[in-house]
Order: sequence, then structure tokens, then C-alpha cells
Amino acid sequence: MSNLPVAQLLVEADVAREAAALDATWRDKSGVWGWLCAVEQKTIARRYIITTFLMFLAGGMEAALMRLQLARPENALIGPDRYNQLFTVHGTTMMFLFAVPMMQAMGLYLVPLMVGARSIAFPRLNAFGYWNYVVGVVFLYVSLFINMGPDTGWTAYVPLSGPAYSPGHRVDVWAQVVTFTEISALCGAVNLIVTVFKMRAPGMSLNRIPVFVWAQLVVAFMIVFAMPAVATGSTLMLALDRAVNTHWFNPAEGGDALLWQHIFWFFGHPEVYIIFLPAIGMITPIVETFCRRAVFGYTAMVMANITTAFFAFGLWVHHMFATPIPELGQSLFTAASMVIAVPTGIQIFCWIATLWGGRPRLTVPMLFVLGFLFTFINGGITGVMLASVAFDKEAHDTFFVVAHLHYVLIGGGLMPLFGAFYFWFPKLTGRLLNTALGKLHFWLFVIGTNVTFFPMHILGLNGMPRRIYTYAETTGWGTLNMLATVGALTIALSVLVFLINAVRSWFSGEHAGDNPWDAAGLEWATTSPPPSYNFVHTPVVRSRHPLWETTVEQPVVTGLRSDRREILLTTTFDAQPDSRHVGPDGSIWPLYVALCMGLLFIGSIFSPYSVLAGIGISLIGLFFWGWQSTQDVEVERVALPDGRMVDRL
Amino acid sequence: MKPLRSSADVSALPSVTFGPRSLMWWGTLGFMTIEGWTTALLVGSYLYLRQNYHGWPPLRTPNPSLLIPSINLALMLVSIVPAWMVARAGKRLDEAAVKKWLVISSIVSVPTLVLRWYELWALNTRWDTTAYGSAAWTIVGFHTSLLLLDICDTIGLAIFFHAKKLPIKACSDAADNSFYWYFTVGIWVPIYLIVYVGPRIF
Ligand code: HEM
Ligand SMILES: [Cu+2]
Repeated sequence: MSNLPVAQLLVEADVAREAAALDATWRDKSGVWGWLCAVEQKTIARRYIITTFLMFLAGGMEAALMRLQLARPENALIGPDRYNQLFTVHGTTMMFLFAVPMMQAMGLYLVPLMVGARSIAFPRLNAFGYWNYVVGVVFLYVSLFINMGPDTGWTAYVPLSGPAYSPGHRVDVWAQVVTFTEISALCGAVNLIVTVFKMRAPGMSLNRIPVFVWAQLVVAFMIVFAMPAVATGSTLMLALDRAVNTHWFNPAEGGDALLWQHIFWFFGHPEVYIIFLPAIGMITPIVETFCRRAVFGYTAMVMANITTAFFAFGLWVHHMFATPIPELGQSLFTAASMVIAVPTGIQIFCWIATLWGGRPRLTVPMLFVLGFLFTFINGGITGVMLASVAFDKEAHDTFFVVAHLHYVLIGGGLMPLFGAFYFWFPKLTGRLLNTALGKLHFWLFVIGTNVTFFPMHILGLNGMPRRIYTYAETTGWGTLNMLATVGALTIALSVLVFLINAVRSWFSGEHAGDNPWDAAGLEWATTSPPPSYNFVHTPVVRSRHPLWETTVEQPVVTGLRSDRREILLTTTFDAQPDSRHVGPDGSIWPLYVALCMGLLFIGSIFSPYSVLAGIGISLIGLFFWGWQSTQDVEVERVALPDGRMVDRL
Repeated sequence: MKPLRSSADVSALPSVTFGPRSLMWWGTLGFMTIEGWTTALLVGSYLYLRQNYHGWPPLRTPNPSLLIPSINLALMLVSIVPAWMVARAGKRLDEAAVKKWLVISSIVSVPTLVLRWYELWALNTRWDTTAYGSAAWTIVGFHTSLLLLDICDTIGLAIFFHAKKLPIKACSDAADNSFYWYFTVGIWVPIYLIVYVGPRIF
């Protein structure tokens, strides 16, 4: 295949032969061992998506339990101690184990396909990140079941979470679960950044990168700067304060409780955008596809993404208005919190402009986009309200905040995500989700969300604090709480409908074909689901909407070897073909090292010495990881730094 | 699917590259950014805690000693030379020289880890005495983990190079390993200045 003269039409039989050869090279080994060693990009991403969705179900069940407890005044279903664990584990699950990794998992699946790459930059690192995440998941839930679940809120404020007020191991669990998820998020982020920088299809210059890929790129950078903050706070400060008596947060010895809040929210505010930006990145291709036109204001959209990312790091203090922060600072952060609404507003106007002139097809993904607009704008408005210091001091720590955060996270995160599930389900499974069930899911979900969370605004204004396990009859909060619980059960029903739909469609849904929606992105240029090597030949891109070009043929590059895992690397700005990279084979060592790290961090709770043991066995694993990743010795063409090219063994 | 037309043949492109043309370099840069940023956050927190005290070091805590930290700083700076030689040899595909300088590099860098132990005690306070001590120990301790990882990486590479004929791409990996070493040493300089010299000044 590699000796083809340029500009030749490829014969179908040759393409088929090439595909078979590629599959033999790229496919993960079968069997249990092969399963454990798997590094194929889509395999890992699929596992991520499924695991994070299970976490959504777990978090949802905790929410349902809490809502059942709160349905009536002085209800005795769940006691205060359990309730504390439930809201903490719910918040921690939803933020750390569901929303962020789910958004990233969608990127890990889709980004390489959207940029026309054979795989992801570092497949083993990817597998390692996934296994680390799994260790965190298992650890949190085992702890919850043995009554060791963290109980100081997903924010783990000191001094409550410090050694003096939270003896035992519950908070340690929280601190280490956070460590695992941050490691996995960072592995994913580095992977996505390098994939987008170096592995784009020839011709996909910066101004042709799909909006979703831009969003994932920007978010990956945000992760690189946000996650180290919470990892520092939880692993290097809180856990050390608890395990070896450091005094980071102990005022008696010169430590500082507010330092925790600064560190946590320096991560925590960007976290919201780490969830939100990929979600709205999913909206653009959906709107484009079902309006059958390019999105209005591509450049403005991309710029809005980047601006939001920068601003997101300058807002954290608005979570601390109830602490002694200088007044000038407060005004500054109020202003910044209001300004960040501008780039988001720009994006919303761009979609509306796109919808306006087009004749949108109201498919299920589109319904969820409309649900997003409706719900999220509501949450955005309460956000701007809370940015005003005077109002925030009233509403702080009440159910008003619970209402706000769920409107934003469900409207801005979950609705686009569900839309994306309907849209890309065919790329994951080869089949379409059922539309009638989809519409039922949508309506139950939108109604349920508003019935659950709208009353919470009023409850909050009436003074109902968050994080309480019950309230007195005389407060008069009973009716609205009952309403919220009914809403929550409606949400649960809608999710059940979705589950049934997903399972049924996975096995017996309508076959989708390569491009069921007639969409424009490269991910639709390959089969559904795509083969292990993604594309038989790397596509060449000539516009922002490659599949909408009216040419009869798909231009591709040839010459990558099919007998080893060769990937085309391109230049960062113009995406000109630059070199061939050889990707690694499957390996057990990522799993092994992740387990060692598990031992290291979980063991550190019980004895600081297990850190030493953990480091020792991890290093052994890393040694073999490196040993095994060396490819076969062959003559390679080497581009020396001085510009010469030599062939060398 | 549309019929495919080959518009370019890439089989003549290089399969081994150096620096920003290779994936490994970018991955290394990514993790350097994460680790550098974590260090910056720790140093920022250290300075934040400074506000809680009148004196620095607080109360009767003595200043950190400078002798061993300064020796170690010098040693680390010297160790850049063999690392640089590894990179240079790698970039010339001179495998024999890479082998030699990797060994020298390992030999020079291991003592920095030994000295690091004394360097921790040269802080002249314990991690559990004051928040000042906690911050200083955490910063130096975190850097120690980077140092350890990087030294193991160097030793591992040295072993690989001596154990078997590696694909020629390993020369590029060796250069990236040096790149990471420059970072590990480079980031120590501000830590040394702030944590060891700093208390004498602010
Ligand atoms: C699906 C339906 C959901 C329901 C019914 C629900 C319900 C609740 C309830 C009852 C609380 C506790 C309020 C309190 O006592 O303070 C809560 C807290 C919280 N929820 Fe949800 N939730 C849902 C989905 C989500 C999602 C999707 C996310 C994030 C992506 C999320 C993030 C949080 C957070 C961060 C907290 C605060 C936890 C804390 O106080 O530490 N929730 N939710
Ligand atoms: Cu915020």
C-alpha cells in the first residue's frame, strides 16, 4: 500500500485488505488477560463512560434517599449521621466521579475521531488514569458501606474536616478519593492536549478545529491548572494535617483555615466550567447538524471558550463572601463574576442566531439543547444574583444555593450530555436510541428537574439551611419539600426510561450506518462503531465541515504502515504531515501501577510507612512499563535536530 | 463512505524525531507544568502563612542551615552537565556516549538524594512544630518525590541501554529525560532561595 503514487483513487479491495491488516495490528488481545491489558483508545473511553454513568446512578440514588428523608418534617428514615455521609458522598460522586470524568471520557472517545487520529497520544497513560479512577470509585463506595463514608460535605471545610473535629478515617477517605480522581483527570488532560496539538488530520489548521475539540482543549488546560490546587490541598495539606500532625490549617500553630477555602475554590470554581465548557461544546455540533448549517460566529465561540477559561480562575473568592475578605476584593470578585456571564451570553446568542435562520429538526438531541437553554438560563440568573455580596450573605448556606447549583449543573451539564448521548450513541454502539422513549425521557427529565429544584429557591429564601437532615413542622417547609421529592422521583423515572432505552437499543436498536444524521465532523467519516484503528487511511481536511463538502471523493493520506501501530503526527498550527509515531501495545503495567498507587494512598491513611512501600512497588511497575514499551528494533528514519535525515538501526 | 483518493504519501516521513516534534517531549512538558504549578501553589501557601507571624521563622525557631543545602544546590547544578551530555549524545545518535553519560549522570545524581535527607533536617524545625515547619517540610518533601522519580528514570534508562540494543528512538527518550532533569534542578533554585535563604530576609 505504501508505494502508491500520489493522487490515486484507492481500489476497494485494497482498502479492505489494508483494513484487515490494521485490525490485526491495533486490536486489543482477547480473553481476561487481554481485557486487563487493553489500551485501545475507544475501549478505555467506553469503560470510562460506563463507569462514570454508574457513578451518576449511585449519586442519584443517594439524592433520592436524601429527598425521601426531607419529604416530611421530622421524618425518621435517615438519621443525621447517615445524612451527612449521603450529601457528602452525593456531592463528591457527582462532581469528582461523574461530571468531570464523564465530560473527559466523552472527549477521550470523540476527540481522536474528530481530529482524524488513529488513537490517542499516550494510550497506556490513558489506561493508567482509568484504573486510578476505578480505585477511587471502589474505595469511596466500600468506605460508605462500612460506615466510613466522608461526612463533611464535598467541600471538606477545615476546621470541621481537620483532625480535631473529624477523628476517625472518614475525611481521609475523601482526601484520597480526590487524589485518585485528580491523577486520572490530569492524565486525561495531558493526553487530550497532546492529541489535539500533534495528531490532527492533515489540513486541520487551528481555525478548522471543531468547536467541541476546542472546548475539550481549553478544558484540558483548565484541568492542568485547577486540579493541582485541590490535590495540593487534599493530599499535601489536609491529609498530612490528619496523618502526621502538620499544621497547615491549625490556627493555634500559625496555620490558617481560610487557606483551605482559597485553595479549594481556586480549583472549585474552574471545576464548574470544566463541566460546563465541554457540555456546551457538545451543543454546537448538534445545533449545526439539525439546522444543517455552520454555526454562526465560529471565531467568537472559540474566543468565548478561551475567555471563560481565563476568567474562571479569577472568581473563586465569590464562594467566600461570608468570610472576612477585604471589601475592595469583594467588589472586584463581584464584578468578575458578572463579567463571566458575557462570553457565555455570546455563545448562547450564536446558537440562537444559528437556530433562527435554519429550519431546526426537533430530534431528541435538539430537545435537550432547548432544555439546556431554558434550564441553564434560570441557573445563570440566580448565579448573577448570588454574585452580589449583599444577597449572597442572605442566601449563603441555604437551599437557594442548592437550587442554583443544580440548575447550573443539571441545565448546563446534564442536559447537553443527554443530548450528546442521543447524538453520538450510534458512534458508540452502531445503533440508534429509540426516539419515542427519548422524548418521554426528555419531558420527564425537564419537568422533574424544575419540580425538584424550583421550590428550593423559595425554601432557601424562607431560611431553610442546606445540609440539614430534618426540620420542624412549624417551619412550614413541608409542602414545598414534598413537592421537591415528587420531582426527584420523576427524575429517577426519567433516568430509568433512558436506561431501558439504552440497554434495549444497544442490543436491538435500529442500525445507524456511518452517518445517520448527515453530520459534518470527521467522526462520522468512519464506521459506527469505528474499528480499532479508527480510520483505514488518515483523512485530509479542507474545511471546517469536512463531510459537508460536495466533492465525490474523500481525500486521504497513505503510507502509514499497517504492520505496526503507526500514527501520523502533524505540525501544531497548520497540521502539515510531520512524522510517523509508533504507539505502544497493550500492557498490564498501567493497571499494576494504579493498584500500587492505590496501596500507597489508601495505606497512607493507616500508616505513613505504607507510602514508602507503595513507592517501592510502584517503581518496580514503572520499570517494567518502560521495559515493555520499547518497540522492535528496526531501521528507522531519524530526523536529527540539526535538520539532517538519516536511516539508522 | 465516499471513495478514497490518496492525496499524499507519508511513508518517507521520519519515524524518530526530537524535541517538540515528538509526542514524548510534549508529554514531559505537560507533567512539568503540573509539577511546577503544584510547587508554585505550595510556595504561595507558604508565603500566605507568613502573614500569620510577626517573625519568620516564628518564635524561637532557628534559621535553616545553609551549608548542606548549598552543597547540594551546587551538586545539582553540576549534575546538569552529564545530563546535557546525554542529551547531546542522544541528538547525535551516539549510543555509546549515551550509555556512558547516563551512568555518569546516575552516579552524580544519587548523592543529591542522600544529601536531601540531611537537607530536610537542615530546616532546623520539624513538620509538626509550627505551620512554618509544615510548609517548609511539605515543599522540600514534594520536590524530593520529583527528584526520586527523575533519578529512578535516569537509572532505569541506563539499565535499559546496557541490557539490550534499544530501538533508536531511545536516543530521543534519553534527551527528554535530560529535559526533565533540567526542570527538576531548575525548580529547586527558587525553592532553595525562598525556603532556605528567605527566612533570613523576610
Ligand atoms: C439528579 C438529580 C439530583 C437530585 C435529586 C439532587 C439532590 C440533592 C440534594 C437533596 C442535595 C443535598 C442538599 C442538602 O441537604 O444540603 C444535593 C447536594 C448536592 N448536589 Fe445534587 N442532586 C441531583 C443531581 C446532582 C448533579 C447532577 C450534581 C453535579 C453534577 C449534583 C451536585 C451536588 C452537590 C455538589 C451538592 C452539595 C453537596 C454538599 O453539600 O456537600 N447533584 N443534591
Ligand atoms: Cu464559583
